[in-house]
Amino acid sequence: MLAEVMMYDLAIIGGGPGGYVAAIRGAQQGLKVLLVEKGALGGTCLNRGCIPTKCFVYDSKLFKAAKDSPVLTGTDLLAVDPVQMVTRKRSVVKTLVGGLGGILSSHGIEVVSGTGQLLGRGKLRVQTTEGSAYNYEARSIILATGSRPAVPPFIDVDGHFVQTTDEALDAEELPANLIIIGGGVIGIEMATLFLNLGVQVTILELLPDILLTEDQEVRQTMRRLLKRSGAALHLKAKAQDIRVVDDRVKVTFEDADGTVNTLEADRLLVATGRTPVLDGINPPGLNLETNGPFIKVNRRLQTNLANVYAIGDVVGGLMLAHKASAEAEAAIENILGRKKEIIAETIPRCIWGMAEIGAVGLNEEEARATGRRIRIGKFPFAASGAAQAMGDTAGFAKIIADAVNGEILGLHIMGAHATDLVGYAVNAMTMEAAVEDLAQAIQAHPTVSETVMEAALDWKGLAIHIPKR
Amino acid sequence: MATEVVIPMLGVTVEKGKILEWLKKEGDSVERGESIFVVEADKVTTEVESPAGGILAKILVEAGREVPVLTVVGLIAEPGEEIPADYETAAAAEAPKPAMAAAAAPTSFGSSTPALAPRVSVKPAGPIAIMPSARKLALEKGIDFAGIDPTGPDGVILLRDVEVAATTPAGKASTLARRLAAQKGIDVAGIEGSGVRGRIMRADVQNAVAEAKRPALGKVISMESMRQVIARRMTQSALTAPHIYFFSDIQMDPLLDFRQEIVAEFEKQFGLRPSINDLLIKAVALNILDFPLLNASVNGQEIHIAPEVNVCLAVALDDGLIVPAIANADVAGLVDIVRQRQDLVARARSGKLTMEEIERGTFTISSLAQYDITYFTAILNPPQSGILSIGKTREELYLDTDGAVGKRKVATFGLSVDHRIIDGTLAADFLQNLKWKLERPAFTFLHL
Repeated sequence: MLAEVMMYDLAIIGGGPGGYVAAIRGAQQGLKVLLVEKGALGGTCLNRGCIPTKCFVYDSKLFKAAKDSPVLTGTDLLAVDPVQMVTRKRSVVKTLVGGLGGILSSHGIEVVSGTGQLLGRGKLRVQTTEGSAYNYEARSIILATGSRPAVPPFIDVDGHFVQTTDEALDAEELPANLIIIGGGVIGIEMATLFLNLGVQVTILELLPDILLTEDQEVRQTMRRLLKRSGAALHLKAKAQDIRVVDDRVKVTFEDADGTVNTLEADRLLVATGRTPVLDGINPPGLNLETNGPFIKVNRRLQTNLANVYAIGDVVGGLMLAHKASAEAEAAIENILGRKKEIIAETIPRCIWGMAEIGAVGLNEEEARATGRRIRIGKFPFAASGAAQAMGDTAGFAKIIADAVNGEILGLHIMGAHATDLVGYAVNAMTMEAAVEDLAQAIQAHPTVSETVMEAALDWKGLAIHIPKR
Repeated sequence: MATEVVIPMLGVTVEKGKILEWLKKEGDSVERGESIFVVEADKVTTEVESPAGGILAKILVEAGREVPVLTVVGLIAEPGEEIPADYETAAAAEAPKPAMAAAAAPTSFGSSTPALAPRVSVKPAGPIAIMPSARKLALEKGIDFAGIDPTGPDGVILLRDVEVAATTPAGKASTLARRLAAQKGIDVAGIEGSGVRGRIMRADVQNAVAEAKRPALGKVISMESMRQVIARRMTQSALTAPHIYFFSDIQMDPLLDFRQEIVAEFEKQFGLRPSINDLLIKAVALNILDFPLLNASVNGQEIHIAPEVNVCLAVALDDGLIVPAIANADVAGLVDIVRQRQDLVARARSGKLTMEEIERGTFTISSLAQYDITYFTAILNPPQSGILSIGKTREELYLDTDGAVGKRKVATFGLSVDHRIIDGTLAADFLQNLKWKLERPAFTFLHL
C-alpha cells in the first residue's frame, strides 16, 4: 500500500527570515502551508547571525562606553563576563524563537523538523530529526535554505582555536588577541565587538579595502576608527597557512608588499563570506538552473522549474535578513498571481562597526558611473547638537542625488543610530521623494535625524549648522 | 446655473479643434440652437450651436487657439446670473478646462484615450456638499473630498463622482513622478497609479509616456522630430531621385573565413573585434575609388563628386533610424574603421551624434542580415547617389567547375542608385566589382 502523501498549497524549505515570512504571509493569504526547518526556527539571523551579534554589539558598546566615560568613577575595575553575555544572548534568542513558533502555529502553519529534499516540481521529502521520512506534495515550493560560513579549503575550523561566526557567537570565553580573516561586513562587525571588549584585533583582508560595497568616504572613516581603537589592518593580505601550535594559532600570510609574515593569536576567526546551503537540493539532478553557487531566479523569484521559487541567501545578492523577507513577500504575491518584483535599489545595508553604518542605494563611485549628473550633500555628526550631547560625534550623513530631478540615488549615514536613521531615507526613496522632500520634512531637535535633513539642505547649499562653503 | 459651451466631438479621430471665429461677443444674447462659433479640425470647419438660450456671459478660449475637444470654451448664463469665479480664460489658465459632460459624451478613441483627457476642475465655492453614499465611499477609499469633482446639481458630489475619483487619483503622485511628468509634458491626472492607495509612481508615468507612443488600431500618434525628418527626407528622395535597383548574389564564405582568421589576433593586438560590417565598409569604400560617381550628388545642373569617401551605416533605433558616417573609410585602416563604427553606433543609440557625423556621409550601407530577409530595396539617403542593401547570409547548394555539388554561403546584395547620374551599366559594374572584392578578401585588403 502506498504511503499517504500530504498535500499543501505551499511548502517552504528553510525557516529563516525568508522562509518563515513566506509561511506567515502565505497563511495570511489563505494558503495551506508546510514549513520545513532542520534546526531552530529563525535560521541564521535569529540563531547565529543578526540577533546574536547585536546582543554582543550592545553589550560590548555598553562596556566600552562605561570604560571610556569621563564621568563614571571606578571604571578601571569594570570587567565583562563572557559567560553572562552568552547567557543573555541565548535567552534573547530563545524568547524570539519561541515567539516565532507561537506566531507560526497561530496561523495554522504546519512546521516539520527535518531536512527537506526537493524531489522535483511540487514534490518534496522530509527526513525528520527522529529518523523517519515523509513525502509531501505542494502546488508551490519555496526554497529558502539560506547560507553558511564559507571557509577556504586550506583552513580547518576546529571550533575553538579556529572559528567561524557560528562558534564565535556562542563562545564562553574571550581571547586576549584575535586574528580575523576577512574585512567584509561580518569581519568588521566581529572586530568591532571584540575591540570594544578590549581584545587585540588584527584584520587580514585580501581585497584592496574593507567593506567594498560601501561608499569610499565611509570606508575611509571606518579604517580610521578601527586603527584608532588599536586594530591592525592588513589590506591585500593573502592568508597562506594556518597552524595551531601549543594552543596558539599561527597565521602565515603574504602582505601587500609581498613579504611573508607570521602572526600569532589566541584565536582565529574566519569571516570570508558565506556560501549557499543546498542540502537536499541537487540542482543538476533536478535540472535546476544555478547562477554560480546560487540558485538562479528571475526578478519574480521564480526558478526555471515551474512553481518552484527561491529566496534569500540561497539566491545570492545582498545576504541580508530583510532582503530575504522582502523576497518572501514578493514570492507569495507571485504565487498568488499578482506580479511583484523587488526593487533592489531601496534595500538598506546596515553595519554595526566602530560607528554604525546605514546605507541605501548607490555609493558615490557607482552614482558617477551611471553617467548622470549628480550632486552631493553632506553633514558631519560633529556639527549635530544631539551627537555632541551623546558624546558620539564620529561620522556623517551623505546624500547623493540626481542634480536635475533630485532623485535620491544613494544615502550613506555613518554615526550614532545610523542603522535606524537609514529607515526614513528608505521610506523617502520608496515613496519616490526627491532630496528636497527630505530637506523640507521637519525633524525634532535635538536628534540625529537632523543630520539627514541638514545633508539634504546642504545638497542645495542651504545647510544651517555648518559654515558657509 | 451657467451652461458650459464646449468644442463638440468632431469625428472619431479628432482630438483637437481650433476656434476660427466667435460669431457672438461676450454679453450678446443667444438662442438655443443658434450658431455661436466656428471651429476647425482636420481642415473641416463646423459651426457650433449654443446648447442653451441666454447671454454669452464669458468667452474662455479666444479665436485662433487650438484646444482638445470637449474643452469648455464659453459660458451661457441667465441674464443677471453671476459667473463662478473658478472659470478662467484660456489665456490665463495653463491647461484648458474640459466639460463635465465628457463622462457622458462618446470618447474619440474608444477606451484607449479617455484616461489622458484633462480632468474637470470646476469646484463649488464654500463648504463641500456630498451625498451620504458618496461620503461613505470616499471615506472608505481614503479620498479627500476636495479632490473630487462634483457633477451633481449645485456642485454636490455624487456617488459616481467618488467612483471616478477613485480610479483617477489627481494630485496623488510621487515627487519624482510629478517631475518626470512635467519634463515629458504630460498630465499626471489622467494616469492610473499603481502605488499605495493609487499613488502615481514614476513607473506609471513612464508607462503612460510609452503607451502614448505605442501604435494601436485607431490611434493617432504625433510624429516626433526624428520621425518627421525621416518622413521628409525619404519623401524628398523618392520624389526627386529616380531609383533603379540591382541585385547580385555574393558568396560570403571567403569574407567570413577571412574575418575568422584575423579576429582573434586582431583582438589581441588592438582590443577590438572587427565585424563583417567593418569589412564591408572598407570594401565598399575601396570600390567607390574605382567608381567616383557613386560618391556624388546632384546639385542643380552639376554633379558634385565628394572629396572624401564617408560611408554611412544605418543604425536602427527604438523610434526610428539614423545613419552616421565613418569618415574617410577609403584611407582609414581597419582599426580606425572598427573604432569609429563602435563609437558611432553607441552614440547613435544614446542620441549623442553630432550633425557633422550624420551629414558628412557620401554612400550608405543598410543591412538586415540579422533578419530572415532574402533581399530588399533601399531608398537613397539624399543627396547621396548610391545605397547598398544587404539581406541575410544563407546556405545554398551549387555546382562547382567539375559539376560536383557543393555548399556555400551566399547573401543577396542590392544596390539602389540615382538614375539621374548613374546608368544601369555603371551600377552593374560597381556591384560586380564589389562582388569580386568581397569574394577575394585577402587580395582586397592587401591595401591595408
